Amino acid sequence: MASSIESMNRYVSPINPAVFPHLTVVLLGIGIFFMAWFFVYEVTSNKFNRDIFKELLVALVASVFMGFGVLFLLLWVGIFV
Amino acid sequence: MDTHAYLVLAVLFLFCNGAKVRQDTINGDLVLSKVERKIDITAHIVKVHSVVTVENGGSSSAGFFLVALDPSLQNYISYVGATVKGEGDKETPLAVSQATVDGHGDKKFWRVQLPMALLTGKSIAVAVEAVYTHALQPFPTEIVQGEKQFVVFLGNLYFYSPYKTTTQTTIVKTFSSNIESYTKTKPVSQSDNTISFGPYENQAPFSEAELKVHCENNSPFLTVTSLERIIEVSHWGNIAVEEHVEMRHSGALLKGPFSRYDYQRTQDSSGSIKSFKTILPATARDIYYRDEIGNISTSHLRETDELVEVELRPRFPLFGGWKTKYYIGYNVPSYQYLFNKGDDFLLKLRFVDHIYDDMVVDQMTVKVILPEGSKNFELKTPYDVVRNKDQVHFTYLDTTGRPVIVLYKSNLVEQHIQDFELHYTFHQLLLLQEPLLVVGAFYLLFVLVIIYVRLDFSITKDEVKESKMRVASLVEEVQNAQDRRSALYQSYDDAINKFKANKEAGALAAARKKIDGDYKQLTTQIQGIQAQLKVEGSDAAEKVAEVNKLDRDYKELINLAIGLAEKLVAGKLSKPQYIESEQANSTKREEIVKKMEDICAGL
Repeated sequence: MASSIESMNRYVSPINPAVFPHLTVVLLGIGIFFMAWFFVYEVTSNKFNRDIFKELLVALVASVFMGFGVLFLLLWVGIFV
Repeated sequence: MDTHAYLVLAVLFLFCNGAKVRQDTINGDLVLSKVERKIDITAHIVKVHSVVTVENGGSSSAGFFLVALDPSLQNYISYVGATVKGEGDKETPLAVSQATVDGHGDKKFWRVQLPMALLTGKSIAVAVEAVYTHALQPFPTEIVQGEKQFVVFLGNLYFYSPYKTTTQTTIVKTFSSNIESYTKTKPVSQSDNTISFGPYENQAPFSEAELKVHCENNSPFLTVTSLERIIEVSHWGNIAVEEHVEMRHSGALLKGPFSRYDYQRTQDSSGSIKSFKTILPATARDIYYRDEIGNISTSHLRETDELVEVELRPRFPLFGGWKTKYYIGYNVPSYQYLFNKGDDFLLKLRFVDHIYDDMVVDQMTVKVILPEGSKNFELKTPYDVVRNKDQVHFTYLDTTGRPVIVLYKSNLVEQHIQDFELHYTFHQLLLLQEPLLVVGAFYLLFVLVIIYVRLDFSITKDEVKESKMRVASLVEEVQNAQDRRSALYQSYDDAINKFKANKEAGALAAARKKIDGDYKQLTTQIQGIQAQLKVEGSDAAEKVAEVNKLDRDYKELINLAIGLAEKLVAGKLSKPQYIESEQANSTKREEIVKKMEDICAGL
């Protein structure tokens, strides 16, 4: 049986919508930095000096920041996913 | 949706209703001692407000009474409600449900539950409100632009009831005092825009007599033929509402041409619809008003503390029989309508919202789009609605699709603006699914790039190129090692300065030993790389050799500097002398460092 409305609280977003723009800028900023680093590394290294662990690590950091940054960008512009 | 589907739905609706309708009998002991009926035909809907005094003349108490609908109007019924005046003139609503009576299968009954059982000899005054749509027939059915619109109302002169009525009066309120004709069953009187009938005494149950009023009515005959209300819930704190509206002017049809000139010249655009006002919740944001072409710019927004009012002006005025289509949407914050306790959620929102005053909605579809992963839906509606099979909706960042609750209802009026409740469960961690999906997509892209740069489709092995790449990687290593070696030079300087300050020979020896170890290791490494470069036959090998030579010179100078510092501390050297030799030493060191840097940069 579902709970009654009296026992429930009003639902607010886990992240205040007012900070979506700031989050977007900060997260995407960091994300783009790591992504740039990753691509620069990929094009400047050759098969003798590239390091797979470094590549994967930079890619992971870049994708985490880019992923959350893009999500908050969507929320900021009004695409409520 | 086509008409066929609506027909099926209508049948379904009847079935659903049929299952719920209860069998009642007419209690012959009840008598309506007084009925005051007001029929309002000022708008395009008919509102009948009757204050009924029910008296119990029997020997047993009665818990409810039945309201019958006029046979001439029963097909137009949209809403029936009943209230009773409680303490302080406060109106309390009574429970009303549809009922059937044996032997009266052709009639529609509504059962009104009384607030308390009506004892023998007692009476109670109940206000019954009924709203009928499309009950006013335009006559003439076609008019030209600028002509006034007249309508015919056909009703029952008497209050149609399964009980005996002692005394009754009826007041008909019309749009204006311009009344063509009306039924003249005495006693009857007309003043301005009201016609009073009665009092009529002692009418038998189900008595009927024609009541016909033919009068002017220029109110906007605006009917929403189809309304689709889409409510999209996002747990990121937003509820998006969009309404797709198809509307039609259901008054007298426009005959002949339409003249924009005449329309602009005469301001009283009899019966045609120029604009109307829609009331949205006070927290509505990002409001848009569009149709297939795009934004309709002729709209105005007015925000007050309690509500947001949008004045909508369609692209063209609506005359009889003309149609228009648009959609309006807005966002509201989730705290307004969404409640939760842990993973249990409750959406409490209006089933239908205000579109314009005295609105009529013929067919309505409500779609509630819930977040992906919601389950266990439980719906509570204030009136009967048809629930269709749940659908799936795909939008941004969806995998399996979002569940959609689909509800239908036909023939709605303003009185139907009431909340429905939808309970569901949603695991809050599922909120992370969407960002992780984007993270995964980015990571996949990067991994593909990592794989791509490792692909080599060349048929032959290009030795020269390979060698070049090897040299490039070795050069990079040399540069790194040299960088670290330069850092060690700095460490020597620091150790010397520290020694001069605290004069502890032991500390200097320890620091020197440590730096010497690192230095030796780096030097060996660079020498190894130099050997490799030589194998590749690169010019870089010579340059590295030069760097190594310079490095040896530098190391000697460092040793010299340490010796000088020791002498100074031991007092074997005067300060001016020390400064002079140290000056010469450091100038040389700087020159060497610069040379090494130049060579490394040019590798």
